[in-house]
Amino acid sequence: MRGKKFGDLALDGGIYLILIALGLITLLPFANVLSKSVSVEWAIVSGKVGIFPVGFQLDTMQFVITSEQFLRSLFNSVLIVVIGTVASLLITALTAYPLSKRELPGMGIVIVLFIFTMMFNGGIVPNYLLIRQLGLIDDLGALIWPALISVFNLLIIKSYFESLPPSLEESAKIEGARNYTILFRIILPLSGPVLATIGLFYAVYYWNDYFNPMLYINSMSLKPLQLYLQDIVINADTSSALNGSTDNLMNVPPEGVRSATVIASTIPIVLVYPFLQKYFNKGVLIGSVKG
Amino acid sequence: MSKAATPPAARIGAGSRRWKLIRGNLGLYALLVPGLLFLLLFKYAPMYGIIIAFQDFNIFAGVAASDWVGLAQFEKLIHSDEFLQVLANTLLISLYKIVILFPIPIVLALLLNEVRKMLFKRTIQTIIYLPHFLSWVIISGLFLNILSPSGGIVNEVIRSLGGQPISFMTDNDLFRSIVVFTAGWKEIGWNAIVFIAAIAGIEQEQYEAASIDGAGRIKQMISITLPGILPIIMLMLILRIGSLLDAGTEQILTMYNPLVYENGDVIGTYVYRMGLGQQDYSFSTAVGLFNSAVGFLLIVIGNSLSRKFLQRSIW
Repeated sequence: MRGKKFGDLALDGGIYLILIALGLITLLPFANVLSKSVSVEWAIVSGKVGIFPVGFQLDTMQFVITSEQFLRSLFNSVLIVVIGTVASLLITALTAYPLSKRELPGMGIVIVLFIFTMMFNGGIVPNYLLIRQLGLIDDLGALIWPALISVFNLLIIKSYFESLPPSLEESAKIEGARNYTILFRIILPLSGPVLATIGLFYAVYYWNDYFNPMLYINSMSLKPLQLYLQDIVINADTSSALNGSTDNLMNVPPEGVRSATVIASTIPIVLVYPFLQKYFNKGVLIGSVKG
Repeated sequence: MSKAATPPAARIGAGSRRWKLIRGNLGLYALLVPGLLFLLLFKYAPMYGIIIAFQDFNIFAGVAASDWVGLAQFEKLIHSDEFLQVLANTLLISLYKIVILFPIPIVLALLLNEVRKMLFKRTIQTIIYLPHFLSWVIISGLFLNILSPSGGIVNEVIRSLGGQPISFMTDNDLFRSIVVFTAGWKEIGWNAIVFIAAIAGIEQEQYEAASIDGAGRIKQMISITLPGILPIIMLMLILRIGSLLDAGTEQILTMYNPLVYENGDVIGTYVYRMGLGQQDYSFSTAVGLFNSAVGFLLIVIGNSLSRKFLQRSIW
């Protein structure tokens, strides 16, 4: 009996240790870069900064988040997220509703047409040529319109609509309600949680998208935050952060700026993370019931 | 009219019922219009663009006026050593990711399931899900930072242990390992969610019966929990194998550089560099078509396997 208890204790200890280690591996890189973003440059370059700042200062951070290009990119990203999420949610829900009526002729074929695009697509070059033909190069629309409907999200909303009891609609129909009235007065108000989840899916997609901006956006003034981040952090081109403050060139610490830019771009996601976790968890579960 | 009477009456009934359904729900069909326009313009029109893989496409002449070359681009592809290297890189990185990273979330879900302290469990989950929500640009920025040979913390630790600093991001031999590690760092927590949910769905009576029989926790884990989530594991594995040719294009695009092209260039990044970097549109489209076609085949095979053995299908 005692041996078994000891075994249980050892098992628990081992499990806790592994999980704590995993948590630390996830957190430490953030802690290190966060410390760097508020440390003095010489300490960063000479590798003195661990998980605590050395020579605490907020000038670098202040410089980064008040730089003209950062604010402009942030504005572009917010614009894309707001317009993109609202438009995507609307068109996805409006498309999902008729598709949830499997008894209507033709709906099955349309669903197959949508699903086929999940498995086969034109590829990068044909997409690029299309966007070019549409005159959307250097236009924020190129980041929104081609992404309006995610088929995965469409299927989640559709199966949610299908799961609503048909009696709801039938009784409304008996009282003479038309299709649109039913959709806007009964179905959509009942779909709050699933719409919130899908809205967050879309918002995170638009916020994090850097591949499409990389293809379609060249103009500095239209770059969203992820692309700006790529210029500074990946291509190590801090000149765009210095845009408009060239007289400052000598005083701006490049390593500190890079760290501060990573942190400044992470913060918006961390701020909405509690919602994300709650609804995404739900979304994954809805999706896994029938994806 | 008399001729129309010859088919079975039921059939006429069905046909006119269909018409009645359509005419009575024109409003619902109208709702489909924006979605269908989107589908046509942004999903199917690019598929038409694939025909430039069979041309020597000239962007100024357009599709209609470019020369047809038949399968010449594909011949070039098969005989290109560069493409073969890229294909090998893709398969290697993808296989490493599956072999190493697929089992970890399952183990993680099993471990989390053993934790009884809910606060601890939720805290760990909150932490390890976070990287999933960050873009690859941020993650790559983070790792470029900590792996930097000048002042990166990892190299500081190596130096303090008496080792030589390593130039991680420009080391061709290390590149694939870094890609696999960072992909795991970003997604293993998140990928555990499906398995955690599946474990929650196992009936509690099974555990009660097992513990009356004297089975310990590890025994229960292996003989109840694991078999209980096996269908989900198989389904996820099939889905994963379906995307074998995607070795992580967005990830690698933010991480690689010419010094590691030899081991790190994969189909997705190669298509991007050939098509939009070197503007070899037709060749790049041919590579892309190869990629899409094999990917499509893998998903169809995976789905029919899943339907046959798990009685579950993706569509």
